[in-house]
Amino acid sequence: MSDVASIESRLTELWETPKTLRGWFATVDHKELGIRYLVTAFAFLLVGGLEALLMRIQLSRPDQAFLSPEVYDQVFTMHGVTMIFWYASPILTGFAVYLVPLMIGARDMAYPRLNAFTYWSFLISGIFLYVAPLIGQAPHAGWFAYFPYTGTRYSPSRGMDFYALSLIFLTISTTGAAINSIVTILRLRAPGMAISKMPLFLYSTLTISFLILFALPALTAACVFLELDRQWGTHFFKIANGGDPMLWQQLFWFFGHPWVYVIFLPATGMVSLIVPVFSRRPIVGYPYIAIATILTGLVGFSVWLHHMFTVGMSDMAMSFFSAGSMTISIFTAVQVFAWIATIWMGRPVLTSAMYFAVGSIALLVVGGLSGVFTGIIPVDWQVHNTYYIVAHIHYVLIGANVFPVFAGFYYWLPKMTGRKLDEALGKCSFWIMFIGFNVGFFPMHILGLIGMPRRIYTYQSGLGLENMNVIVTVGAFVLGIGILISILNLLWSLRNGPLAGKNPWNSDGLEWETESPPKPYATVHIPTVISRHPLWDDYEEESDPANDRILDEQRLTLVTSWLDAEPTSIATIPKDTLVPLILAIVLFFFFFALVFQWLMGALLSFLITVLLTYYWLWPKPAEATQ
Amino acid sequence: MSVALQCPRSSPSISELPLEERRGSYAMWCVIATESALFASFFAAYFYLGNNKARWQVDHPPKLLIALVLLAILVSSSFVLEWGKRRVVERRYAAARFLLAVTIFMGLVFLVLQAYEYIDHWKTLTPFSDSYGSIFYAITSFHAAHVIVGLLMLAYVLVLPRYAPARETPFRPYETVALYWHFVDVVWILVVLVLYVIPNMIAHG
Ligand code: HEM
Repeated sequence: MSDVASIESRLTELWETPKTLRGWFATVDHKELGIRYLVTAFAFLLVGGLEALLMRIQLSRPDQAFLSPEVYDQVFTMHGVTMIFWYASPILTGFAVYLVPLMIGARDMAYPRLNAFTYWSFLISGIFLYVAPLIGQAPHAGWFAYFPYTGTRYSPSRGMDFYALSLIFLTISTTGAAINSIVTILRLRAPGMAISKMPLFLYSTLTISFLILFALPALTAACVFLELDRQWGTHFFKIANGGDPMLWQQLFWFFGHPWVYVIFLPATGMVSLIVPVFSRRPIVGYPYIAIATILTGLVGFSVWLHHMFTVGMSDMAMSFFSAGSMTISIFTAVQVFAWIATIWMGRPVLTSAMYFAVGSIALLVVGGLSGVFTGIIPVDWQVHNTYYIVAHIHYVLIGANVFPVFAGFYYWLPKMTGRKLDEALGKCSFWIMFIGFNVGFFPMHILGLIGMPRRIYTYQSGLGLENMNVIVTVGAFVLGIGILISILNLLWSLRNGPLAGKNPWNSDGLEWETESPPKPYATVHIPTVISRHPLWDDYEEESDPANDRILDEQRLTLVTSWLDAEPTSIATIPKDTLVPLILAIVLFFFFFALVFQWLMGALLSFLITVLLTYYWLWPKPAEATQ
Repeated sequence: MSVALQCPRSSPSISELPLEERRGSYAMWCVIATESALFASFFAAYFYLGNNKARWQVDHPPKLLIALVLLAILVSSSFVLEWGKRRVVERRYAAARFLLAVTIFMGLVFLVLQAYEYIDHWKTLTPFSDSYGSIFYAITSFHAAHVIVGLLMLAYVLVLPRYAPARETPFRPYETVALYWHFVDVVWILVVLVLYVIPNMIAHG
């Protein structure tokens, strides 16, 4: 027994980040970084939520002057940009960064320092974005920023430069995180976890990581063109000299639609893990869900024009993209039916996590249906740019992202903090959020159909819009209160919650094999797996009579082949380092210099970046000697 | 009973597994994938902007000669680099380092020559003249930026202290960087094809 204890203490010594200031900034531990991702992204949700409430106060009564038209434009732009780019996707990255290595029995991500870098650059790019309103020059052209409104003629302030450059900055972070997920999922799975036995969350994370690789560059290109047009006098979008403003729309939506799946698929992946656990049975139709996930990703590339039906295009193109949009809804339906069947055939246990998961399915169906409507071209022409669209995007985004994220919190926070949240408060929070959301957003469909346009700072009285706008505002505040209750619940549980133990929900996934919160090295023996539900079968994952899979010579983890997960080699995991943080800060100055067209500053930061990267990649003596 | 059969058969050999050393090239492949998508966006923009335009450089296609010379330089530099990689495998490090230096030299020649070409072009076409100029310079200078980054990577491998410490890991940086350099090379082939050869073919029937 003392042997086990000495192994454990050796592993701890190897893997633990010292609790010093340097340790805090230098850590490469995926658990630490995952939690930071979650906290930071959640903070952005709150900021974006506050902006939303400002808008709703302004719109609660006709002819109000709470926000001036200029400020209103800035607020809805910041709201959309914050929510879409700095909340919805990073929060899922947070779950992935925290959970993926635990789910596959690895001790860290494939590139831990890159992981630290993508976290810091995510945070710092968000700060960069928020410098804009602080110096009073916020972007104001909506989250998809159509030209010519974004040109210097109509947007003379530096707001749009902040928009474009902060997005390019974030792109670096997002791409890095995607690469990290791809290689981690494909190569670090525990022996035996063949690709057909992966948890479904890994399928969705893998799919969206590939989507990111292929879709995000279109956004980068669009933003580069925008910056060149705005600051350096080129003519990509300016009609007068042969440019074409539609080019922005094409590039933006080529990126934008896959992005919808980036913030949607991993959330469905989480639902696919949570629903079966609380239905006390394996998920129905595992292979169909896996395939539907991948197909959603693929077909997601061929529907971007449906955001542009009102722009004008050939009938052929319209039919094609309309059909594509319809096809996608089939894949989503496959997932929804699989969840419903799972609940149907299981014995549901109604915990808070399950409430949120089921709630999200319900909202998703409404959002999906209104999406099918907007996929039909005549309807789209009618409702385009009305509150109907605002209702639709929020049903999809809140239903398919916020609710699953809350389900994920109630399900996995006990793993992260070691303590369970209060169930009664959780359910209370769910009902308040659910009711608040529907009260707040369902009437928007009707508002849109009777003609209230989106992105207007006010409306006249006597148009029949007053009552419903009051209801909408009340609903928005109720939703906010619901979210607040969950936050309080979390804060309360950190001290007083009942101890969770290893596996509080009797779940099947490998992440529940670890202590709660997990030890820095996760498990003493790297687990092996023989089924899709490692903790539900009789096989002992950590059994390792030869003590082969302890790997305690240095920070090590096991690498396996990507299909069958046969062990192929052993990967070293680097030590803590400050370089990723410094690199992200230097990039901040790089982009800052670009906003103000200060080329020397940009060049200088670029050179520092190069030197830092050299230092980062330089083989360290300790790593070279085995 | 089937459980025993399904058990991973790996247990005895794990302690003998080699150290993992391919993460660099996995990441590089991903980078190449996303960069390809970036250049694809640029090319798409080129065609999109050229659509419906009466004049899309058909009457004045860019001169072909220098672009082809540049192409020859870059493609052959890739071969030189590959040759050097073989030397590393054979553990002839001095030769490898020399060939790497030659590659870098060829890359620098590429940049100088391209600068010369720019000066020539600038007389008739600038990024500020019209959308064609904008996208032409955007694509070519973006490619040049990739050449510069590639050179920085090659320089890094050039100064790496040793190629074969324990288990020869630093063979891999050579390989990884070579991947990137080949990619930059392939992109230039496409650039020449799309921006130079096709317009010239159309112009001269
Ligand atoms: C917390 C509750 C929320 C409320 C009360 C709310 C409210 C609103 C309102 C009123 C608008 C319309 C502004 C206008 O067109 O005049 C809007 C736009 C938008 N919201 Fe939300 N929202 C909330 C949460 C979210 C979330 C969680 C997301 C994304 C994950 C999101 C994404 C968007 C987007 C993309 C727009 C469009 C912005 C634009 O027009 O450029 N919202 N929101």
